[in-house]
Amino acid sequence: MTDLPLLRVTGLSKIFGDVPVLDRVTLTVQTGEIVMIVGPSGAGKSTLLRCINRIETPSEGTVMIGKKNMAGEERNGNLVPDGPIATARKRRHVGMVFQRFNLFGHLSALDNVAIGPRRVLGVAKSEARARAERELARVKMSAHAAKKPSQLSGGQQQRVAIARAMAMQPTLMLFDEPTSALDPELVGEVLEVIRSLAVEGMTMLVVTHEMQFAREVGTRILFMDHGRVIEDTTPEQFFTNPAQARAREFLKRTLRAEG
Amino acid sequence: MQGFDWAVIWYAAPYMLQGAIVTIEISACAMVVATLVGLVFGLLSVSDLKPLRAVIRAYVYFVRGTPTLVQVFLVYFALPKIGFELSAFWSGVAALAFNSAGFISEIVRGGLQSIDSGQTEAALAIGMTNRQATLFILMPQSLRRITPPLTNELISLVKSSSLLSVISITELTRSAQVIIAQTFTPFELYAALAVYYLVIISVLAWFSEYVEKRLA
Repeated sequence: MTDLPLLRVTGLSKIFGDVPVLDRVTLTVQTGEIVMIVGPSGAGKSTLLRCINRIETPSEGTVMIGKKNMAGEERNGNLVPDGPIATARKRRHVGMVFQRFNLFGHLSALDNVAIGPRRVLGVAKSEARARAERELARVKMSAHAAKKPSQLSGGQQQRVAIARAMAMQPTLMLFDEPTSALDPELVGEVLEVIRSLAVEGMTMLVVTHEMQFAREVGTRILFMDHGRVIEDTTPEQFFTNPAQARAREFLKRTLRAEG
Repeated sequence: MQGFDWAVIWYAAPYMLQGAIVTIEISACAMVVATLVGLVFGLLSVSDLKPLRAVIRAYVYFVRGTPTLVQVFLVYFALPKIGFELSAFWSGVAALAFNSAGFISEIVRGGLQSIDSGQTEAALAIGMTNRQATLFILMPQSLRRITPPLTNELISLVKSSSLLSVISITELTRSAQVIIAQTFTPFELYAALAVYYLVIISVLAWFSEYVEKRLA
């Protein structure tokens, strides 16, 4: 492999009505990078993630994952937009974890994880099950495999949601405020799982308000405000000596709140 | 009760039972057709197929906005004109199904849309298509929510079948009317008629309660 970046975002915008929630974001992520995205609410952090896997359709700009353009196929220099089936196919290997877990309510923890490999990848039933068991073991949820989401705590649900995404063997994981909906005492177990994925070398983009976690686990920090990336640097640099006044202001507020 | 003629009820019983069987047959056929068509239309009205969605919306608009009796006449007189020579029985089935399928498609659509949209997003995020998300995630969860309103609709279908007496189908209501014309005992026979319908609909309601419990 040459150093073709895993993710290349160019001039990505999302405009709701006439408000640009995401404003010409450009970003390159190499395999193995752990990018922590921080910033005030309404900065466009979640929208950035959702436009990368096209859960939200960007207003303009391109997203390349490896050699694949997420919007369509290049033909004779023209972009032919993908239909819904092609889009679904491209999403397979971009995992996403949501703030509200979004587990499938009628399925057990095991089936929540197995249904992707089974229905989307067409893996045999026994193989899908075995894969789901491995992924549940990785997030330490084997003991709860038969339980329905309603029988699990928030932290447990989120760990199952991580296993569900990982069962698709993604090349890139997107975490959208994975601990924001959790009771404080449940945050740790979820961060621990994300940290272990980071250690294994998973490439990930994590939107988070956990500054300590961002600093320890991230290899890179993006600070966003008003739909733009205004600081893109190392955790060390960001937390000790941020270049932008807005970032300094943000840090002062959040660190005081955490203190 | 003074002057209540029980004898006429016994006299009418064989005819009315025959009528009841016709009512049950027509309603059962119409229920199957209406549920299948309503299900498909409900699924299509949450799909990406915009032109089909518009057609279904127009159809629902029409069914909702016109009296069932008018629909019965329309189907009965319109079908032959567009080349469908159906017997009175099947015209009746078609009319009832035409009416009910519209309401059922709305019930199905509502049931599907009542599931938290986050689950659809999660399904899309693991690479499911919209159709897969509907089939594997939304449908199974909405079935239980759909059952009670669906029961209401099917009950109302059975009641609407009494309107088919106007297109000379000798179903339950018409069979009672025929005897009334002979015996001039409207009160006794309409009272009996109500009881016949109550029995049929009670069985239906009991069955749906059973289904609901099984789905729980």
